[in-house]
Amino acid sequence: MSAADNIATILSSGARLTVPLAFAACGEYVAQRAGTLNISVEAMMLGAAFGSIAVASATGSATIGLVAGALVGVAVAFVHGILSHRVQINTFVVGLVLNALVLGLTSYLITVSTFTGHQVWQVDIPVLRDIPIIGPMLFVQRWPVYLLLAVVPLTWWLVERSRWGLELRAVGENPQAADVSGIEVNKRRRQALLWCGLLAGLGGAYLAVGEVGSFNQNMTAGRGYLVIAAVIFGAWRLGRTLIGCVVFGLADAMRLALPALGVTMNSQLLIAAPYLLALLAMLVFATAHREPRALAQPFQRGTT
Amino acid sequence: MDVDDQLTPALTLRGVSKRYGPVVACDAVDLAVRPGEIHGLLGENGAGKSTLMKILLGLVHRDAGTITRGTEPVEIDSPQVAADLGLGMVHQHFSLIEPLTVWENVILGDTGRIDRAAACAQVEEVSRRYGLPIDPHARIDRLSAGERQRVELIKCLRRDPSILILDEPTSVLTQAESAELFTVLRRVVQAERRAVILISHKLAEIMAATDRVTVLRRGAVAFHGATKDTTAQQLARQMVGREVSLQSESAALGLLPVERPEPVEGVAPAAGNAATPERPAALRLREVTLLVGGLPVLDKLSLDVAPGEIVGLYGVEGNGQATVGELLSGLLVPDSGTVELDGRPVDLVRPGALHTAGLGIVPEDRHHSGVVLDMSVAENLVMKSLAGVTARGVLSRRKMHRIAQRQMAEFNIVAPSPDTPLRSLSGGNQQRVVLARELSAGPKALVAAQPTHGLDVGAIEDMYVRLRQAAAEGVAVLLISTELEEVMALANRIAVISSGRIVGVLPTAEATAERLGMLVGGVSH
Repeated sequence: MSAADNIATILSSGARLTVPLAFAACGEYVAQRAGTLNISVEAMMLGAAFGSIAVASATGSATIGLVAGALVGVAVAFVHGILSHRVQINTFVVGLVLNALVLGLTSYLITVSTFTGHQVWQVDIPVLRDIPIIGPMLFVQRWPVYLLLAVVPLTWWLVERSRWGLELRAVGENPQAADVSGIEVNKRRRQALLWCGLLAGLGGAYLAVGEVGSFNQNMTAGRGYLVIAAVIFGAWRLGRTLIGCVVFGLADAMRLALPALGVTMNSQLLIAAPYLLALLAMLVFATAHREPRALAQPFQRGTT
Repeated sequence: MDVDDQLTPALTLRGVSKRYGPVVACDAVDLAVRPGEIHGLLGENGAGKSTLMKILLGLVHRDAGTITRGTEPVEIDSPQVAADLGLGMVHQHFSLIEPLTVWENVILGDTGRIDRAAACAQVEEVSRRYGLPIDPHARIDRLSAGERQRVELIKCLRRDPSILILDEPTSVLTQAESAELFTVLRRVVQAERRAVILISHKLAEIMAATDRVTVLRRGAVAFHGATKDTTAQQLARQMVGREVSLQSESAALGLLPVERPEPVEGVAPAAGNAATPERPAALRLREVTLLVGGLPVLDKLSLDVAPGEIVGLYGVEGNGQATVGELLSGLLVPDSGTVELDGRPVDLVRPGALHTAGLGIVPEDRHHSGVVLDMSVAENLVMKSLAGVTARGVLSRRKMHRIAQRQMAEFNIVAPSPDTPLRSLSGGNQQRVVLARELSAGPKALVAAQPTHGLDVGAIEDMYVRLRQAAAEGVAVLLISTELEEVMALANRIAVISSGRIVGVLPTAEATAERLGMLVGGVSH
């Protein structure tokens, strides 16, 4: 293989590995702007990955599986929203419990069930795919990748231009002020979480029925935490958050490609590489920027 | 003559009560507000004014009583309902979202699609109609306190409220800004027949700006009547519940006109003790600069306090005096400059260095950095000098109690026992705990930041006596205050802070309202 082919391979696989992160990051971004530092994004992705394969296997349709995965994400978000923004349980505790619960549940269920593999269809645009280096990355991908191209501007528009987004930002900055302006703070936060669940679900489902075609135990392997890191790395701006996802995706692709390129390294160490990179990136970029002022602060009317 | 008496009130409260556990916040309050009047709601801190307004806004639910809007009885159970009934509130602590722009804040809480152009046009229209100039595209965090107040007013007036409630609106404003506010309010009631409720604890303000006044004392209505038929003295008596005589009391109540600075016999400040070249300052700030977001909050600020004198650091809120308090509490580290105690610079990065060097602090927000509410009185009293009550890392409860009991007696701290949680003490007694701890450590200098905020009159008087006493014993006292009367009553010298720098230092005897006013406004000559 030529060097150009190698680069094309790494870029293409980097793009594919970025997709689940980018889906989920669009969701996590919204949740955090509304003031929820949502760590159950890992549970949303893992649950969705399992759900998508289970439903795809049952119905024979990977697309229905993908939709089912998104709904699993929404379900996790719903539980999280009720527990932390209605019953007012500490959001980190809820997130940790959900992550552990979904990991245990899916690990058990996969041992007692057998699923057939399914994958959503691939878009393969002739001529364009033959463009050197970037051709395979941009024009040979499974279809949800192109859905992502719609989700990103939609997320931006929702947060920056819609009234819902304005209220969301207000809630994340100063819930008391939002409350006296007549905005239902906890309702907005629950809604933001649902959007997060939908997109994290799509991301997790894509990992299973898009990328791999099957489910294995703990297949997200902490990608949800990378998503949180990406939002922090992105200083709570969507564009930079997505750049963070691309960086982490490429790091992941490098890890997979290195052995094929003849570089021998301890594989466990390589698995740690993207996380190490996330830590370094946050150390360098995240300190100077301003987070939503009420991030991770619960709201209850009557308390100040 | 008084035709307003015949009008149906815009809003009537009858027998409204609210308790928080054993504490009665509102006790059968009656209140009637008519269209076309400014109705003053006067009371000390904790008299129940804010609770009453929170009930009107749907933030707190009343336990008893009725609320009538016009002739209709109403149930206000959320801020949305309050807004629908035409009740608009301008909050004491601004309810603006800082990273958003003016127009975005103004339309917050509306429904439907966002129309940016229309929103900006509305802001400009309201701003023109009431004479409240503002740029709709400006971000709130770039605006001054006065401009933010304008945005709050515009946000409120745009919704066309028939009843406008203002909660301590002048607490962060300069005198000129306050005057501008009252002009706007007059226009609002006279030209447009709206009703305004003005909540305040400043008598001068109530006398000057209102048509009728209701005085609350310990949750109940103590007085009600037309402002022109009453006097400031009478209102003060109703508010406090007894005759007000001491100058410092009057000062604390905002009774003293600023134009009369000469001190009354008996409470005159101690003889001048200004730092001279021969007498080195006990506390010295040298060219302290502190940046927040690239902007200087303190700008090469230098200040000396000599042993035995009280220096008042005075200025309008938001000009850096709170930052000086936090700096001297050790909560902030300056970007450049030094703090010296007895001529020795203190390493401000080390926690507790200021305390070790001999600086006592009564912080502005005692709940935040002064005390631990859920720990006992004794624990709070010994917190900063644990070495005296521990042996090999083990606390001696006996020693702790002995020290606590001595300090409680010395500082008149009223508590059932040294083991009582601090939370159950009154604000005045909590503040005494802070003062007792700081003074018992034998400080060279004491910083008192807004030491009488939220205290009742008795506790204020006690605080004044203690501060004077500390100065008489040779402690250098820095009094940080936004209340001119307080500074005038206590300080030997007044240092005026404006935009993070000291713009002038005057002996109190030479400090006339005019000169201070010019300095506060940033005019140094």
